[in-house]
Amino acid sequence: MMRKCLPLFLLAFLALGSTCFAKDLKVGFVYVSPVGDAGYSYAHDQGRLAVEALDGVTTSFVESVAEGQDSERVILNMARKGFDVIFATSYGYMDPMLKVAKEFPQVKFLHCSGYKNSENMANYFGRIYQARYLTGMVAGAMTKSKIIGYVAAFPIPEVIRGINAFTLGAQAVNPDVQVRVVWTKTWYDPATEKEAAKSLLDVGCDVIAQHQDSPGPQEAAQERGVYSVGYNTDMSAFAPKAHLTAAIWNWGPFYAEMVQQIKDGTWKSDFYWYGMDKGIVDIAPFGEMVPAEVQKSVLDKKAEIASGAYQVFTGPIKDQAGAEKVAAGAVMADGDLLGFNWFVQGVVGTLE
Amino acid sequence: MTPEILLALLAATVQAGTPILYATLGEILTEKGGILNLGVEGMMLVGALIGFLTALHTGSPVLAFVAGGLGGACMAALHGIVCIWFMGNQVVSGLALTIFGTGLAGFFGTPYIGRTAPGFDKFSLPLLGDIPVLGTIFFQQDALVYFSFLIPPLLWAFFRYTRWGMAIRAAGECPAATRAAGLNVLAYRWGALLGGGVLVGFGGSYLSLAYTHLWTNGLTSGRGWIAVALVIFAFWKPSRAMIGAYLFGGIMAFQLRLQAMGTALPSSILLMLPYILTIAALAFSSWRSERTHAPAALGVNMEPSE
Amino acid sequence: MLQISTVRRQEPLGWGSCLVFFAALALAFTVSGVLLVMQDKPPFTALWLLVYSAFGSSYALEDCLIKAVPIFLCSLGVGLTFRLQIWNIGAEGQFALGAIGATWAALTFPGWPWYTLLPTMLLCASLTGSLWGAIPAVLRLKLRANEIIVTLMLNYVGILVLDYLVYGIWKDPGSFGFPMTSEFVPAAVVARIGDTRLNWGLALCLAVGVLMSVFLRSTRLGYELRACGENVRAARYARMPYAKLVILVMAVSGALAGWAGFLEASATLGRLQPSIMSGYGYTAIVVAWLANLNPFVIAVSSFLLAGLRVGMESLQLDLQIPAAFGAIMEGLILLAVLAGGFFSRYQLHLRRTR
Repeated sequence: MMRKCLPLFLLAFLALGSTCFAKDLKVGFVYVSPVGDAGYSYAHDQGRLAVEALDGVTTSFVESVAEGQDSERVILNMARKGFDVIFATSYGYMDPMLKVAKEFPQVKFLHCSGYKNSENMANYFGRIYQARYLTGMVAGAMTKSKIIGYVAAFPIPEVIRGINAFTLGAQAVNPDVQVRVVWTKTWYDPATEKEAAKSLLDVGCDVIAQHQDSPGPQEAAQERGVYSVGYNTDMSAFAPKAHLTAAIWNWGPFYAEMVQQIKDGTWKSDFYWYGMDKGIVDIAPFGEMVPAEVQKSVLDKKAEIASGAYQVFTGPIKDQAGAEKVAAGAVMADGDLLGFNWFVQGVVGTLE
Repeated sequence: MTPEILLALLAATVQAGTPILYATLGEILTEKGGILNLGVEGMMLVGALIGFLTALHTGSPVLAFVAGGLGGACMAALHGIVCIWFMGNQVVSGLALTIFGTGLAGFFGTPYIGRTAPGFDKFSLPLLGDIPVLGTIFFQQDALVYFSFLIPPLLWAFFRYTRWGMAIRAAGECPAATRAAGLNVLAYRWGALLGGGVLVGFGGSYLSLAYTHLWTNGLTSGRGWIAVALVIFAFWKPSRAMIGAYLFGGIMAFQLRLQAMGTALPSSILLMLPYILTIAALAFSSWRSERTHAPAALGVNMEPSE
Repeated sequence: MLQISTVRRQEPLGWGSCLVFFAALALAFTVSGVLLVMQDKPPFTALWLLVYSAFGSSYALEDCLIKAVPIFLCSLGVGLTFRLQIWNIGAEGQFALGAIGATWAALTFPGWPWYTLLPTMLLCASLTGSLWGAIPAVLRLKLRANEIIVTLMLNYVGILVLDYLVYGIWKDPGSFGFPMTSEFVPAAVVARIGDTRLNWGLALCLAVGVLMSVFLRSTRLGYELRACGENVRAARYARMPYAKLVILVMAVSGALAGWAGFLEASATLGRLQPSIMSGYGYTAIVVAWLANLNPFVIAVSSFLLAGLRVGMESLQLDLQIPAAFGAIMEGLILLAVLAGGFFSRYQLHLRRTR
C-alpha cells in the first residue's frame, strides 16, 4: 500500500509546495454545479476533457462551488497552487475572479458568461442563441396549435436571449406562433421542470422547449405524445418519440484553442463570443418525425448563420407591447444582446 | 381557468403531492415512536438512487420500488445506531444523515446520469377511472399513487387498533411508563424508525421511478424538508398528512399553471405562495386546535435502565 | 454468560472526551479511506492533504477563519434559541434578510462616511434579521404555530424575497441584466485587517462571542434563559417571563444571522447577489449541537467544519475526488462523533450472570 502511495504523496507535495516547477501547463476549471448535473457543468466538463487530451497539459476541476465567498477562495487557491490557466464557468464568479486576476498577473483567467475583463482575464461565451433560433424554426414548423411552451430557469439575459431567438426562429416559419414561458427558478430539479412542462401542455402548447439542465420537460412531452426541443446535449434518449432536436454546447474546440494559444504564447485577453462558425454551438441530429423539407430549410439557415450571412437579431424586431425596438435591416449590437432584458413580440411571460 | 385546466391541475396536484406524502407518512411513523429524524432529505435521495439503479439493472420497477424503500430503511438504521444505541442527539444525527445521504447519492449516482430506466406509467383504474371528475383526478395515475392511497388508512388503523401500533405510540408518549409495563421500548422505536425509513425511501423512489424516470444529483430538491414540516402541519395524523401533501403539491402545480396561462405577477412572488400558505394554514389550524399534538417524548433519548 | 450494562458516569470524562473525539474521527477517516480505495484513490495522501490544506499554512488558516465567520454567527444565534428549546432552523432566511437590510442601507446612503454607514448597515441588518426571527416567535406565542415549520418555510420565503429584489428593483443597471445590485461604495465595505484577507468582521465575532459568554454566565437574564432551557414548565411555574424570552432569543438569533448576511454582502462580495447563501443556516444547527451550545466550543467547531470544507476543495483539485465525497465524509464524521459522545457520558459494565 505504502509503495503505491509514496509517489502520489510526493506528487501532492509538489503540487502544494511548488508553483511553477511542473512543465505541464496546468488548467483548472471551476463549476457551479456538480459535473453530474447532466447539463451545463457536464457540457463544460466534456470541454475540459478535450483540453486534457492536448499534449503537455493537465487539467483539474472543483465542482459545486457557490458563487459567494467560496468561489474567490477556490480561484485564489488554484492560482496559488500554480495553475497557469483558470476557467470559471458561471456569471457569479466574475467579480471574485477579477480580484484574484489582479493579484496573479502571470496566470491567465477566463470567465464564462459575464462582461468584465482585464489584462489577464478574458471573458467568453457561446452564441447558443444561434442554435436556439434553428431549434425555434423546427418547433415553429411542427406546432399545430401555434402555442409553444418554454420551461426556463432564471430570468437572466442568457436565458431571455435564448427565448427571444427561439421565438424569432419559430415566427420565421410560422408568423403567428406564440411562445409561453414558465420560470422554475431552478437549474436542475427534474420533477418541478417536468411539472412546469405539463402546465404548459395543459394550456394548449404542443411543443416544449427548455432552458433547464434536466431532461424533465422532455419526458413530459414524450408522455403526452407531443414534441420537444432539448438543451445542452442531445436529449433524445429521454424522449425518442418527442425529441425534435436540441440546442447543444460543444466547448471542446474552444477550450482547446484557448489553451493551445496560451501554450504558444499567442493568447491575449479579449471578449470571445464564438458561435456556430466555430462549432461551439450546434443543433442535435433531427428526430425522424421532422420532415425532410423542414430539415433542409433549417440546415440551409444554419449554413447562412455559420457563414455570417444571416444575423439572428436583425430588425424589424418588436417587443411584447408591439413597440419597434430594432429598426428594419438593423442588427442588434453584441452589447445589447449581452444585456437583453426584454421579450420580443409573441412571447407570453414575465421578466421577473 | 377552464374546467379542463382545473381538472389537469388537480390531477397534477395528486402526483406532485405523492412523493411528499410518502415521506411525510414515513416521518409520522418514526416520530410517533418518539424518534425525531431530520434526515428525510438524505434518505429520500438514497432511496431514489437505489430505486433507480435497481430498475436500471433488473428492469423490474416493482423490485426497484421495494429496493428504494429498503435503501431508506438502511439510512434510518444509521440514525438508529447513533440515536437509539449510542444515545446521540437526534437533531444533529438527522442533519448529519441528510449531509451523508446527499453525498452518498451524489458520489455513487454520478455515473448513471443521463440514463433512463423503466418505471411506472399512468393507467386508468377500471371502473374507478371512469368516474367523472374524481376518476380523472385520483384514478388515472400510476400504480404508486394508488398504493399511496392505501397507506394513510392503514397507518391510522395500525396506530388505533393493533398492539404494535399502540405500543409504538406509548413508546413515543411515555417511554418510562411503557417500559414499566414490561414492553421493550427500544424494539418498538427501532420498528417505527425502520418502517418510517421504508416509507421515506418509497417517497424518494417515487421521484426516480414514476414522477420522472431518471436520476440526477439532488433529485429531491428540498422535498424531504417539506415533509418534515408537513408532519407538524399534519398534527402527526396520517389523514391530515394527505391534506398537507396535496395542498403543498397543489399550490406548486397551481403557480406553474398560473405562469403558463400568462399572469403578470413576478415568479418570485408566485413561488413564495406554497410556503406562505403553508404557514398560514398551520397558524390557522394551530390557533383552532387546543393542544400540541407532538408525541411527548419526541426527540428525547431513552436513558438506559440500571 | 457475560452481560453488558450501561451506567451513566457520575463525573464528566474530562480529557477522555478528547480521546473519544479522536477515536470517532479515526473511525470516520477509516471508512472514508475504504471508500477512496474503492475508487482507486490514495487514501493516506488524501487524508493528509485534507488536513494540510485546511490547517497547514497561514493561507489555509486564513481561508478557514473567513469561512467560519458566517457559520459561527448563525450558530451562536440558533444555539441561544435551542437553550430555550425553541427550534430555530431559520438562520438561512434570517441571513438573507440581514443581507437585504444591510444592502438597503448601503444603496440608500451611498454618500455617508464609513463610520456612520457601516453601523447603519449593521443596524439595518439586525432589524431585518431579527424581524424575520421574531415572526415565528410571535406566531408561536399567539397562535401556537410550531416554529420548526414556520422558520423552515420562512427560509424559502426569505431567499425568494432576496431573489425578487436582485432580479427586480435592485438590479444594477450597469450589470447587463445580471441579477446583482450595484457594487457598494468603498465606505460600505468592511475593511480588511492589514495585509491579510481577513476582515474586521472577525473582531465583531470575537466581541459577540465574549459578550454572549458573559451574558449567559453573569446576568440575570442569562440565568433565566438557562433555567428556562433546563425545564420550561418549571420556569413558567416560577413566573419567568417565558414569552418575552422567546421573542428575545429569536430576535437576537435573527440579528446574529443577519450580521452574517451583512458581512457576506459587505466584506466578501461587496454587493448583493442571489447566491450569497450556501447552507450556513443548516450547518449552524449541527455546529451548535455538536458544541453543546457553548459559545467557545461553537467557535472551535465552526472553525473545524470550515476547515473540512476548505480542505475538500484541495482534494477535488489535486486528486479529482468529487465534491460529494466531502459530504459523505462530513456526514460520517458527525455521526461518529455523535455516537462517540456516548462514551463520555456512559460507562459500560460487564456483568457475569448465570
